[in-house]
Amino acid sequence: MNHSPLIDIQHITYTYPTHNMRTGEVQSAPALKDVSLQVQQGEYLVLLGHNGSGKSTLARHCNTLLTPDNGRVLVAGLDTAEKTHQRAIRDMVGMIFQNPDNQIIATVVEDDVAWALTVRGLPIPLINERVASVMQSVGISHLRGLPPHRLSGGQRQRLAIAGVLALRPRCIIADEATAQLDPLSRNEIVTLLHQLNRQHGLTIIQVTHLLEEAALAQRIIAMERGRIVMEGSPASIFAHLEPLRQLKLAIPEPVELAVRLRNVGRSISPEALTVEAIARELVP
Amino acid sequence: MKDPIIITKNLTHIYQANQSSSLRKAALVDINLEIARGSCIAIIGVTGSGKSTLVQHFNGLLRPTSGTVIVNGAEVNAKGADLLKLRQRVGMLFQFPESQLFERTVYADVAFGPRRMKLGRREIRTRVLNALDMAGLPHREFAQRTPFELSGGQMRRVALAGVLAMSPTILVLDEPTAGLDADGRAEFYSYLQRIKQEQGVTIVLVSHDMAEVATLADWLFVLHNGHLVMQGAPRSVYAQGDALQQWGLAAPPLSELLTLLRKQGLPIPSEIFTLEEAFSLLSKPLQLYQEK
Repeated sequence: MNHSPLIDIQHITYTYPTHNMRTGEVQSAPALKDVSLQVQQGEYLVLLGHNGSGKSTLARHCNTLLTPDNGRVLVAGLDTAEKTHQRAIRDMVGMIFQNPDNQIIATVVEDDVAWALTVRGLPIPLINERVASVMQSVGISHLRGLPPHRLSGGQRQRLAIAGVLALRPRCIIADEATAQLDPLSRNEIVTLLHQLNRQHGLTIIQVTHLLEEAALAQRIIAMERGRIVMEGSPASIFAHLEPLRQLKLAIPEPVELAVRLRNVGRSISPEALTVEAIARELVP
Repeated sequence: MKDPIIITKNLTHIYQANQSSSLRKAALVDINLEIARGSCIAIIGVTGSGKSTLVQHFNGLLRPTSGTVIVNGAEVNAKGADLLKLRQRVGMLFQFPESQLFERTVYADVAFGPRRMKLGRREIRTRVLNALDMAGLPHREFAQRTPFELSGGQMRRVALAGVLAMSPTILVLDEPTAGLDADGRAEFYSYLQRIKQEQGVTIVLVSHDMAEVATLADWLFVLHNGHLVMQGAPRSVYAQGDALQQWGLAAPPLSELLTLLRKQGLPIPSEIFTLEEAFSLLSKPLQLYQEK
C-alpha cells in the first residue's frame, strides 16, 4: 500500500507492573510480546480474543493510554511515547469502553456531548453546530434535554460515541463497548459503528470476544497470550472452526451449522456469516 | 404442578405506592406463577421489565403491594413471617457480586455468611471448603488467596461460594454472567449445572439473554412491562421469534435462523431446536412447501 498507515505499531512489548500484596515480590508477565500491526485510514478492524489475550492492552497503545516498553507506535506519523503528541493523538483516536457511565460527565445529554469542545475553548456557534450534527449521526437528537441516567444502556453508549465524535476523530476504538448490553442494543451499536465507517470514512477498531460481532469486519486480528495469532478476512477466519475454539471463542451456532453443512457437500458460500446471509444460501 | 416451591398469586408491586399518582410506578402486575421444586427456571425480559423486582419478592426483600408469595409452603408477606430463616433458605446472588467481596482472604469472605448464622467453627469450615470446591475453586489452591487478585470469573465464583455456604434450597442469580467472556460464562454455567445435579437446589436465573440460559433452564418465564407475557419450555418459547422481538428480546441466533428459513418456505418442524437436530434435518435434501 502506498499510503502510510493511520496507526503503525512496530514490534511493541508491554508488561503491566504488578506486585503481590503479601510477599511484596514483583511479578511480571508480558501482556504484549513483539506485536506489529498497521491500520489503514478508513479500515474496519476487529481485535478478537478472550479475556486476558492482550487485545485491550494493544488497543490502549493506539491512543497513548499506554506506551510500549519496547518498540514504538506511530499515529499519523506521531510517536505516542512523545508526551507533547498526546493531546493531538487522543483527538485523532477516540475511545469508548465497556461502561459508558465512566465517560459521561454532564447532567444533560447535549451538555455532555459539548463537554470536550467547551474544554478546548471552541466558539459557541461552532460547538452548537457540531453537537447537533453528532447527535444526529448517532441518533440521540430526541434525547438532548434528558439527564443521562434516564437513558437506556444502548442510548448511553451512543452518547459516549457522540462525545468522542464531537472532536472529529479519524479513528474510534470500541473496547468491548457492547459487553454490558442486551443482544438487540448490541446489534444496534455495531450497526452504528459500521454506518460511521461507511458514511464518514471513520477508521473503526472494535475490540471484542464475540465472533458474531466480527462477521462484518474488513479484517480480523485474533490475539492470544499477547501475540497476534491469526489475521484475515472474516470468511478466511471463520473457514476453520477448530483454531477458533482453541482460542476459547464461542462459535455462533448458525456459522457452525453452515460449516458442517458445507463439509457434507451442501453449497454454502464461505462469505455467508450472518443469520440472514446463511438463510439466503439455504433457500434456493 | 405437584410440588411447587415458589408460588405467586396475583402478585402486584407498585413502587412508591403511597405517593401521589405521578410517582407511582407499577413494576409488576398480577403475576401468577409456580416454580417446581428442584427445577431450573429463567426469568427473561429487557431492562425495566420487572425481573429483578419479581425475584426480590422471593426472599422478602420486597413486599407485594397486593397478592401473595408462598415460598416452601410459607407465606412471605404474612405477619410474623421469619425473614431471617427465609433469607437463609433463599440464597441471592446480585448483579456484579464481585463488587461485594471485602475480606482479605477467599476463605474469610465465603465464611462471612455461615459465621452470621452462628454455626460452630467446624461446621463453618466444612461448609466453606465444600462451597469453594463446588464453585470450581479448589480450596487448597484458593482459600488463602486474596480475592482481589483473581480473574473476574473467579471473583464471581467466590461470591457464588459465599451464597452456597449458607446451604440454600433456592438459589436466585440475577444476571450472573454479565460482563464475563464466553469462556467465563461456560465455566460458570458448568459449575451451576453441577450444583443443580448434586445439591438438588432449585435455581432461578434472571437474564436478558435467552441464548445464555438455553442449556440450563428447563422452563422460561418472559416478563414485559411488569406482565408475565409468556411461559414454557425453551423449545416452544424460542420458536416465537416475532413475539419475542416485539418485547425487545432476541431468540438465540440458531432459532432466529430456523424461524427465517420457515418463513421462506422450508418445511422445518417446530420441534427442531438444537444444532444437531438442525444439522441432521438440513443435511438431507429438502422440498419446498408446495402451495395447495
